Amino acid sequence: MSDIVQRVRGLLATRLKLAGAADELGDETPLFGPGGLELDSIDALELVLGLEKEFGVVIEDRATAVQVLASIRTIAEFVESQGKG
Amino acid sequence: MGADPLSRLPHGIAFRFVDRILEVIPGQRVVALKNVTGDDPHLQGHFPGDPLMPGVLLVEAMAQTAGLLLPEGSFAVLAQIKEARFRRPVVPGDQVRIEAEHRTGLGSLHRFTLQACVDGTPVAEAEIVLAITTPGDRGS
Repeated sequence: MSDIVQRVRGLLATRLKLAGAADELGDETPLFGPGGLELDSIDALELVLGLEKEFGVVIEDRATAVQVLASIRTIAEFVESQGKG
Repeated sequence: MGADPLSRLPHGIAFRFVDRILEVIPGQRVVALKNVTGDDPHLQGHFPGDPLMPGVLLVEAMAQTAGLLLPEGSFAVLAQIKEARFRRPVVPGDQVRIEAEHRTGLGSLHRFTLQACVDGTPVAEAEIVLAITTPGDRGS
């Protein structure tokens, strides 16, 4: 699991050009909305593509994306639940 | 085929940068043509005596091509342009072949990979996101 978390963190750093900021991000920090990274829907699309390429997982609709992309932890749990990583 | 397939684009004729559809796999991939002629009004000024298809209009042509893959009746606007490169000048007489591939969609956002070629040589490429919206809605 911690390996997946690190890869998700790396994905945030490269795909969203967050660089060092991704390292300081808590596993539970909200990626969207106030109190967190305040990413937007275009960032979400970028992450969906990145997760597909990195882990082979597919997020098909907006409702799933909202749940899965909530935080680094939720992304890692989703990847694991899909038997990937 | 009945109606003009390009009529599904919301743009008026004055701002249409796609002339013909060559191939289409609905929702997945489309190839279209843009013929560049000296009559294009923007080439009169870009540049006087040295006409050159503006890079931003190549992106527009690519975005319109991508728009052909959206559901019929969609009204979409550009939400993101990424990795745009302009490799060679496009001038009157060139026939630009534009290929758009739908990469993924999430809600109202759709991401496409685009390439434009003249005589088989790449002249431009980009990745774009189109956002399906409602005509007249200028809110964020």
